[in-house]
Amino acid sequence: MPHADDERTGQASFGSWVFVVVLCLLLLGQFFYAPYLTSPALQTWSTVFVAICVQALPFLVFGVLLSAAITAFVPASFWTRALPRRPALAVPVAGVAGAVLPGCECASVPVASGLISRGVSPSAALAFLLSSPAINPVVVVATVVAFPGQPMMAVARFVASLVVAVLVGWVWLRFGKGEWLRARRRHEHAGFAEAMRHDLLHAGGFLVVGGMAAATMNVVVPRAWLDALADDFWVSVLVLALLAVVLSICSEADAFVAASLTAFSPTARLAFLVVGPMVDLKLIALQVGTFGRRFAVRFVPLTFSLAVLVSVVTGVVLL
Amino acid sequence: MNRVTQSLVLVLLGGAVLRITTVSNEYLNYVKPGFRYLLIAAAATVLVVGAVGLFKKEDGHRGPWVAWLLTLPVFAIFLVAPPPLGSYAARSEEAPARPVGALTAYTPLTAPVSTMTIGEFLGRAWGDPTKSLAGKQVRLTGFAVSSKNKGQWYVARMQIACCAADAVPLKVSVLGWPAPAEDQWIEVTGTWVPPTAGGPEPGTVAPELEATGVTEIPRPVEPYE
Repeated sequence: MPHADDERTGQASFGSWVFVVVLCLLLLGQFFYAPYLTSPALQTWSTVFVAICVQALPFLVFGVLLSAAITAFVPASFWTRALPRRPALAVPVAGVAGAVLPGCECASVPVASGLISRGVSPSAALAFLLSSPAINPVVVVATVVAFPGQPMMAVARFVASLVVAVLVGWVWLRFGKGEWLRARRRHEHAGFAEAMRHDLLHAGGFLVVGGMAAATMNVVVPRAWLDALADDFWVSVLVLALLAVVLSICSEADAFVAASLTAFSPTARLAFLVVGPMVDLKLIALQVGTFGRRFAVRFVPLTFSLAVLVSVVTGVVLL
Repeated sequence: MNRVTQSLVLVLLGGAVLRITTVSNEYLNYVKPGFRYLLIAAAATVLVVGAVGLFKKEDGHRGPWVAWLLTLPVFAIFLVAPPPLGSYAARSEEAPARPVGALTAYTPLTAPVSTMTIGEFLGRAWGDPTKSLAGKQVRLTGFAVSSKNKGQWYVARMQIACCAADAVPLKVSVLGWPAPAEDQWIEVTGTWVPPTAGGPEPGTVAPELEATGVTEIPRPVEPYE
């Protein structure tokens, strides 16, 4: 990997040469390697991998555009007026505001990072980050469609996701430390296009990491194993919560997968729907890239355990 | 990674996605048809951001190394050209999936041979109290998947809600016809074999079809249901 230091000096960098090699491999590969890349497992893996990347691209671009627009055009004073001054109140308001961003989780990470860089309190931005992929109208409608005759599933998903988002925000407000959150490496003078290019490369690269992990799990874990674990209440909840993490399905599609897991109890499927948009492999990779590793090792377990607990309580009460 | 390299990576990525959405229909192997214009808009944005970066002067902003990974999907698209999910993905799940959005009101079948999706066939076979399938000729389109049971094989189709990562296989067991080559796309004509009393519960095993004709066809442009 090229190191960045030689580039500061403006020398012809190692990176450009790597790029030339990449391009040559692409051109030569069309003729020499392509005929050998035909094993069914490899092809299935690459189909799922490309599908995750391709499907996430529009949402990522939308999120990065919105984030760059927030940073470049919305003055910081707007947020101090729009959100309650007390952070403890700003958290639930930001959580509910998540309902207006019609995207999936790939869009919410850059947007939350843009909000923090404009002075929004991190706990409120994190509540927004968690709630928006789970409670926006597109996802609610998809959940209603996927569970015909069971409208309570969509209601339970909405309620549980919002509760988890607000709880995580409050816990972060009470115990979180500023130094855990990596400051944005963005220069103040960076313009709109500059900010977009940086975020696209950065978040996009981490998205690819998550896509590879998710494609591997998708091909390696046969779903027949799962059905064997569906009988015990707690085991089934944990299994589906972990499945949501490893499969990394977009929040707009995960309800359809949950609906197909007929061997599991409604509460276990609710856990799948609540955990998926908040904690999954591609999201973890994106969060490590955007907010840093010290943030992710605390935020991810906190969110996961709260999401499982709240899903169980909501499932027992509502479903 | 300097500015020129960063910009070239974005141009390459935008170009690859534009290629599979405009020049070819390969994007249908990965996502629903409705994604097309979203993808074109996103790819064009990525391409423009990259192209703009090419014409600005070097300012010493270092790029993240992780951005190199963005060339991996480009490699996959150009080298592997991943095909739609086929028998390998359909075989890995033995328990049949329930089709999403199965019909609740089943109209009677009047045509001499009714063409329907495998999802509709499963819905009618498993969930229709009026048994509208009984004795009717139907035509299903899918690919061939071998079965562990002797004398039968599956005609299968993947159903996706959003992208291939959420695909679930829909399978119908075919009787009375020699199995075609694995993954061969086919049109199967035949009649539903109602489950015998005391057999497995509906929805736990693939429904059966007694075949009267099997035609090999090229892979459809839209491979998923």
